[in-house]
Amino acid sequence: MTIRSFDLLQPRSLAEAITLLVQHGEDARAIGGGTTLIILMKQRALQYRYLVDLQSIPGLNQISKEPEGVRIGALATHRSVELSPVIREALPVVAEAFSRVGNVRVRQTASVGGNLAHADYRLDPPPALLILGAEISAMGPNGARKIPLKDFFRGMYETALEPGELLVDVKIPSMPAKSKAVYLRYSAMSANDWPCLGVAAMVTRENGRCKELRLALGGVAATPVLVNGLTFVKDQLLDEDVMQQILAVVDEQISPFSDLRGSEWYKRQMTQVFIRRAIAQLDSQLIEG
Amino acid sequence: MKREITLRVNNKDEVIVIDDADTLLEVLRDRLKLWSVRESCGVGACGSCTVLLDGRPASSCFLLAARTTGHDIVTLEGLGDGAELHYIQEAFVSQRALQCAYCTPGFILSVKALLDETPEPSDEEIREYLAGNLCRCAGYADILRAVRVAQDKKKSLAFKE
Ligand SMILES: Cc1cc2nc3c(=O)[nH]c(=O)nc-3n(C[C@H](O)[C@H](O)[C@H](O)COP(=O)(O)OP(=O)(O)OC[C@H]3O[C@@H](n4cnc5c(N)ncnc54)[C@H](O)[C@@H]3O)c2cc1C
Ligand code: FES
Ligand code: FES
Repeated sequence: MTIRSFDLLQPRSLAEAITLLVQHGEDARAIGGGTTLIILMKQRALQYRYLVDLQSIPGLNQISKEPEGVRIGALATHRSVELSPVIREALPVVAEAFSRVGNVRVRQTASVGGNLAHADYRLDPPPALLILGAEISAMGPNGARKIPLKDFFRGMYETALEPGELLVDVKIPSMPAKSKAVYLRYSAMSANDWPCLGVAAMVTRENGRCKELRLALGGVAATPVLVNGLTFVKDQLLDEDVMQQILAVVDEQISPFSDLRGSEWYKRQMTQVFIRRAIAQLDSQLIEG
Repeated sequence: MKREITLRVNNKDEVIVIDDADTLLEVLRDRLKLWSVRESCGVGACGSCTVLLDGRPASSCFLLAARTTGHDIVTLEGLGDGAELHYIQEAFVSQRALQCAYCTPGFILSVKALLDETPEPSDEEIREYLAGNLCRCAGYADILRAVRVAQDKKKSLAFKE
């Protein structure tokens, strides 16, 4: 036994899980797929006396189509999102982002809720969910609430969830008319390594011009970044002048740090390269006019 | 906490007492003596501890054994009948897709899951599916060839049935 002994508690409802988490406070932790938690406990970086098993709660792994989007239960696996016909049809960029996580075994086990709650700065899915305006439903000792994903990530491995509060599902609105989205990830090391950085982009066009551009980035700050201040692209072509302005705005909003996947300088350069590639892939006509 | 669980492994029910903190890898190797399940990276990245969980590949190094009750677990030992090699094993042998063979059980189970899910995968799909299985000696080209040989064999077997 590598992990220090603990009790696995298996609640049958969300209310029961929340009661257990509140009762045991810092001694307890929720476990979704466990792909991150178990590894960190094996390494003894984390230690708990109780794990509250969210897989034992029925009904949390549904993926459902709604009038204005798609709802994904916290316990849906990455693989089920990647392969879901509903998501591939309505939100292909989301299927793409989840399909890029680690390897097929990780995706088969890891849950959507665990991915977001883990709040690693390099995760693949958050940028794609951010450009689409995803919203989290959470449930805790003080009841249910909604948290826009853009307000969810608070710092490195820190989220807006309160003690005892659980992520229940994530709602992703449909894509606006005449829009296209893409997620590109750049790995500086082996192909299934964590990304050095990830870029999600969505372009909406109107009358042959850009109506809206949304960009979100992973790996280039302590949290995933949804880029602000891009409204100036409205009614423009995305020519070199405008592109330069976009890249300048982005450069101000990121704060990459040097690690084994690249220096700060390198990550700033590669961010620009991948934003250009993402936009070119979406709408080269808007660039060329 | 200690608890008694029933694990369904290779079509057999195994009743054992485990600790909640035991990983499936530890239980399969140390308790059930299924030596084909091997630890290498211990963090989900290499695939040498791969088992099939309800037909899908999983890393037994990051699964808690206590949470795998009620699922069908298959290790390499569960593939053949003990007398003859399974056709995916045969394909690996005929294509020289192994050297030290430490990684081979994980590869073979992943290939089984791949061909069950996608009977006619593209080169890209094979590469994608096996990207998380690492081999440090044989060479991936031989492994990719073995997948194609196994695929043909599977098709001809299905045809006979
Ligand atoms: C080998 C390997 C490679 C990887 N490569 C990548 C990669 O390339 N890209 C990438 O994006 N990610 C990668 N990852 C990380 C992976 O995405 C996460 O491990 C996974 O998403 C976590 O999900 P989980 O369900 O297993 O979480 P768990 O390990 O169960 O939990 C993670 C954290 O979230 C909390 N939590 C879980 N569910 C909830 C909930 N519903 N409500 C509140 N809190 C909750 C837990 O308490 C814990 O703190 C990789 C992981 C591995 C092991
Ligand atoms: S030992 Fe489990 S994936 Fe490497
Ligand atoms: S044959 Fe030696 S690691 Fe693959």
